[in-house]
Amino acid sequence: MASIGRLIPLTAGDPIENMSIDQALLESTSHGKVPALRFYRWSRPTLSLGYFQKFADRDTHAESGGLDWVRRSTGGGAIVHHHELTYSLFLPADRSTGHHRDLYTQVHGEVAASLREFGVTAVPYRMLSRSLLASTPAPFLCFQRRTDEDLVVSGYKILGSAQRKVRGAVLQHGSLLLKSSSYAPQLPGIAELTATLPPIQQLSEKLANRLANRLELDWQEDGLRDQELESAAKIAVAKFGSTQWKRRR
Amino acid sequence: MTRDESKLLYAATHEWAAIEEEGGDRVATIGISGFAIEQLNDLVYMDLPEVGRSVAPGEEFGEVESVKAVSPMYSPVAGEVLEVHTELPDQLEKLNDDPFNFGWMIKVRLSSDEGIDQLLDHAAYQKQCAESQ
Repeated sequence: MASIGRLIPLTAGDPIENMSIDQALLESTSHGKVPALRFYRWSRPTLSLGYFQKFADRDTHAESGGLDWVRRSTGGGAIVHHHELTYSLFLPADRSTGHHRDLYTQVHGEVAASLREFGVTAVPYRMLSRSLLASTPAPFLCFQRRTDEDLVVSGYKILGSAQRKVRGAVLQHGSLLLKSSSYAPQLPGIAELTATLPPIQQLSEKLANRLANRLELDWQEDGLRDQELESAAKIAVAKFGSTQWKRRR
Repeated sequence: MTRDESKLLYAATHEWAAIEEEGGDRVATIGISGFAIEQLNDLVYMDLPEVGRSVAPGEEFGEVESVKAVSPMYSPVAGEVLEVHTELPDQLEKLNDDPFNFGWMIKVRLSSDEGIDQLLDHAAYQKQCAESQ
């Protein structure tokens, strides 16, 4: 029998808010043991740095130099969040056993299947002959890096995800590059690569349904609880909005 | 001296501890197990604490990144960080080959026995690893 999971409706938030809500939901999943899925967008174009990236490396990417920025709690490279759909999946530790790569495989497989319903063919990087790939000159941007489970279209990465583990839960969030941004013009999105722009609401609904089947969950639409909003507000001040966090490297 | 992994104590969260007498103090040398390193796969970054920091059993003492996943490492013991293997984060490729010797991360001067009775011997830890696969 499927377990209950929380489906947090699609919203658009500012950079600190988006990261703080993800962290608050990770903590509540760790305590409450109820899986959750959230979709969101970014209220303004934003650069996010991976947890271990150096602030000074921003200088290597001039186009995004003027953007507001945030440091994620997850790994990987920098992302220009502009024309994208972001998902966050929160699983209690007892539902995410196995290698962390398995969760990338599962979620990205369902994203690829959802995209196929809109006529977009994306495949995991591991399935490609590496010699056919477009060149990847600088690794500052996440979408110029490749790991096995990243989804690619015509050699270009269109989906990358990253994880954060805490005691009792894991967060996996990822960015689906719908359209190229003027702040990262070297990265084509699905629209440029396929002349198709899947509608965000329908795409997120299809993906939620597929993930429900895959993870044996029954999503129940659920807003953020007061406690989670309070927690997110505290996290915003203490962590994602603080200079100490942003410039920790 | 090569450390014998079968003589070490292990946390359920995959850290190992070698507890020895050093100059009248009890000092735990701490790292993460070969099983954990294999599971993490392809470590690219590591953060370790500063000397002097206090740690408690189950408290985070550092973080690692592998395949874009950031994971915490937890102290198996209580005490003060005496020494940090500062060369390790720049030589993570060596962890795979030698997690129990070159792969040590911190040395902690124990302030009490807290947490030690929760640690597993090698056989019990191996059983836990086998059951988790």
